[in-house]
Amino acid sequence: MMTGQHGSQPIQHQFNPYSDNGGTLLGIAGEDFAILASDTRQSVDYSINTRLSHKIKAISPSLTAEFKAQNPKMIGTKNSILFGTNGFSADGDALTRQFEENWKWYVHDQNKSAMSMQSAARNVQHLLYGKRFFPYYVHTIICGLDEEGKGCLYSFDPVGSYEREQCRVGGAGASLIMPFLDNQVNFKNQYIPGTNSTERRKVDYLSLDECLKLVKDAFTSVTERHITVGDGLEIFIIDKNGVRCEYHDLKKD
Amino acid sequence: MNHDPYSWGRPSDSMYGEYNREIANAPTSMEQHTSSSNFNEHTTRPIVTGTSVVAIKYKTGVVIAADNLASYGSLLRFQGVERLHKVGKTTVVGISGDISDMQYLVKVLDQLSMDNNYDNDEYSDNVDELQPSYIFEYLSNLMYHRRSKMNPLWNALVVSGVDSKTGEPFLQYVNLLGVKYASPSIATGFGAHLAVPLLRRLADSEEQAAELTLEEAKKGIRDSMRVLFYRDTRSSKNYSLAIIDKDAGITYDNNVDVEDMSWKFAKDIKGYGTQKV
Amino acid sequence: MLSNFADQLQKTGNFLEREVFDNNLQAKNELLGNKKFQKLAPTIEMAPVSNPAEFLRAHTDDSKNPDCAIKIAHGTTTLAFRFQGGIIVAVDSRATAGQWIASQTVNKVIRINPFLLGTLAGGAADCQYWETWLGTQCRLYELRNKERISVAAASKILGNLVYEYKGAGLSMGTMVCGYTKKEGPTIYYVDSDGTRLKGDLFCVGSGQTFAYGVLDSNYKWDLTVEEALYLGKRSILAAAHRDAYSGGSINLYHVTENGWIYHGNHDVDKIFWEIKEQEKSFNNVVG
Repeated sequence: MMTGQHGSQPIQHQFNPYSDNGGTLLGIAGEDFAILASDTRQSVDYSINTRLSHKIKAISPSLTAEFKAQNPKMIGTKNSILFGTNGFSADGDALTRQFEENWKWYVHDQNKSAMSMQSAARNVQHLLYGKRFFPYYVHTIICGLDEEGKGCLYSFDPVGSYEREQCRVGGAGASLIMPFLDNQVNFKNQYIPGTNSTERRKVDYLSLDECLKLVKDAFTSVTERHITVGDGLEIFIIDKNGVRCEYHDLKKD
Repeated sequence: MNHDPYSWGRPSDSMYGEYNREIANAPTSMEQHTSSSNFNEHTTRPIVTGTSVVAIKYKTGVVIAADNLASYGSLLRFQGVERLHKVGKTTVVGISGDISDMQYLVKVLDQLSMDNNYDNDEYSDNVDELQPSYIFEYLSNLMYHRRSKMNPLWNALVVSGVDSKTGEPFLQYVNLLGVKYASPSIATGFGAHLAVPLLRRLADSEEQAAELTLEEAKKGIRDSMRVLFYRDTRSSKNYSLAIIDKDAGITYDNNVDVEDMSWKFAKDIKGYGTQKV
Repeated sequence: MLSNFADQLQKTGNFLEREVFDNNLQAKNELLGNKKFQKLAPTIEMAPVSNPAEFLRAHTDDSKNPDCAIKIAHGTTTLAFRFQGGIIVAVDSRATAGQWIASQTVNKVIRINPFLLGTLAGGAADCQYWETWLGTQCRLYELRNKERISVAAASKILGNLVYEYKGAGLSMGTMVCGYTKKEGPTIYYVDSDGTRLKGDLFCVGSGQTFAYGVLDSNYKWDLTVEEALYLGKRSILAAAHRDAYSGGSINLYHVTENGWIYHGNHDVDKIFWEIKEQEKSFNNVVG
C-alpha cells in the first residue's frame, strides 16, 4: 500500500527531525533494589502537551496467575528491566519499542526467563550506535537487579556510550539534580566532622525509604525551577519481590 | 578531526566544510513556518493548509471539531474542505496542516478500512473491527517512519473515538515528527494556545473527563471554535463537528457555524486598519 | 566526495554487512526477529539526506553551536609511553557534553584482551563501541590462527575500519597498546582521520599539551617501573589541573610481557594535595 512517493534522486529537505519534549528521568541503584523515576509532563516549546505521559516502561516476563494472586500490586517480576528514555519522545518511544522486541526474541530464542542487565545494556548500546549518524535524541537509563541480586543501573548517551553507576539523572533537570545526588548518594564532598576536611565520609548504601525521599525531594525541587518538569511523578521500584509503581502529584503550574 | 586542543575531537572545517546552522535551526512545527524569511526557503513545506483541530473527552465519548477551510498562505483559498474523517465505525480522525498530505492520509485510511472489511464483515466468524487504538498505532508509526525518511507528512493528527468492545473513550495526538500523546483534551496548532486552556478548565484529568456531560463538552468545543475564529486569522466561521458516543455511535455535522459572537472588543483595539487613533 | 557518502556506502555495501554470519542474507537491508543477533555489529543508519555528514554535524557539534540538540559525550586526556620496563598507560575519567560534566567516572581504558589495551579519547561511544568490536575481531583472529594477534595487526583492523567511515563524522583518538613476543612492547596511535602511527610516546585529547609538557621533560628510556608509573600519573594530573575538559580520577596500567597490570584508580582531588605536599610543586595553588 505504501508505494514510493518520489524518484530515486537524493532528496534535500530543510526539515528538522528533532524536538525537545522536556522532562526529567532519575535512577538510583540500592543494595538490593533499584528505582527509576520520571515526571509525567510532556511539553514542546512553551506548551504542555499532556500532564500524563509515560517515559518509563517495565519490561517483564509474563506474570503467572499465582504471582498475580500473591502480589496484586506488582506489575513485573524481579527479572524485569525498567527502561526509561528522556529527550525527544518520538525517538524514546521508538527505542523502547525496539528494545522490548529484542528482549522478547532473546528470551524466546535462548529459552531464558529474562535478559541479564549486562546483556540488556550491551543491546541498548547496539541499538543506539546503530543510529550513530542519525542519532536518537534521547538520554536512556535502565534499571534492574544484576545476577547477584544487587541493584543495577546503566546510563547511556545519545549514541550509546554507557556506564554502570549508582545514580544518574537525565534530561532537563540533570544539571539541577545530579550534583545533589552526587552529594547525597555517593557522599561527594562530605567529610567526617572534626577532621578538617581530610577524611571522607565512607560510601554506604542508602535504604529504600531514604532513596524514595531523595527522589521525591529532587522532583519537587526541580519542578519549582524548571519549566518543562512537573504535573506528576512516576516511581518504579524493583526488588526481589518484583516491580511496583507509585504515582505522586507534582505542581501543575 | 580537529586537533586543536580547544576543540579537540570535533569535526574540522577543512574536512567537513563550514558548520551549517540552517540545518540545526530548521523548523519542526507548522507554526514556525508562517514567518518565511529568505533564508528559510524549504523544499518541503505546507502549501495549502488547514488550521486547528480541537477535541475533548466526556463521560461516554469524544467531541471533535475542525473548520472547513483550506488556506493558501494568508489567502483563505478553499471553503468546504472537511478535515474530520470517519474511519471504521467508531473512529474520527481530525487532520490539520498540509491539505495534500491530508488527502494522502485519507487515501491510506480508506484503504485500511477497506482491507479490514474483507476479513471482518457480518459473515465472518472472527470479527475484529477497527478500533481507534489500532488506527492511531498505524498512523503514529507512519508519521514516525516518514520523519525518519526526512520526508514528513506535514500534519498534526487527532485520533478520537470509542473502543467498540469496552466503550472506553479514546483521544490521542501525533504530529509530523511522530511525537504522540494522550490527554483529556487536545488541540493542534493555534488551538494548543487558545482552546486548550478553555478545555482544561472543563477537564484537566481523566477523572474529570469521566464526569463531563456531552452538553458541557459540546459547549467547550463551541466556545473554543468561537475564540479561535476571533483570533486565528486562518480560521473560518463554518466548521464540522463530530461526536463519537459509545451508545449513539458517530454523529457528524459538517455544517456548523460559530454562534453568539460579539465583536465589541474589536472596536476598542486601536492602531490598525483605517481607523483614526 | 563527502556529499555522496550515503550513496557510496549503499553501493559498496556497508563494511559491517559483511560481518553477517548468516549466508542466506539477501539484498534485504532489514534483519527481522532473531536474525539481528547473529551480526557482530548493527548496520549503521545514515540520515536520508544528500549530505549526511553535514546533517550529523549540524545537530551534534556543540563546539560550533552550543545550542545544538544532541550533545555527545567527549573526553579527555590519555597517554601511553614505552620504556625499558614495558608500557605505561594513564588516562583521566571525565566525560563532557558541551559545558556539562556528564561523568567523572568514565573508564577510558578498554581491555581488548589480557595483552591488549585501547585508550579512549574523542567521542565516548565511538571508542567504546569500536574497541569492543576490535576485541571480538582479535578473538576471531586467535581462533582462526591459533596465536595471539600482533599489536600492528590489531591496530590496523581498527585503522582500516575508521578509514572506511572517513568523513562520516566519527571522532576518536586512540592508542592500541600491547605486548607480543615478536614485537615487544608496542604502541600504535590510531585516529578517526585514518592516521595510524607507531611510536614510543603519545598524549591524546584536549589536555594533551599539558600532559606532553610534564611527560617530555621527565621522560627517559631507563625509567624504573615505579618512576614510570608515577610519571604517567603525574602527567595526567597536570592535564586534569589545567584542562577544563579533563579531570575526575586517573586510571593507571602497566603493560608487561605477561599482559597488562592494573595499578588502580586515583582520585585527582586527593592525589593533587598529596603530590603538591610531597613535591612542593603546584605552588600557584594556595591551600
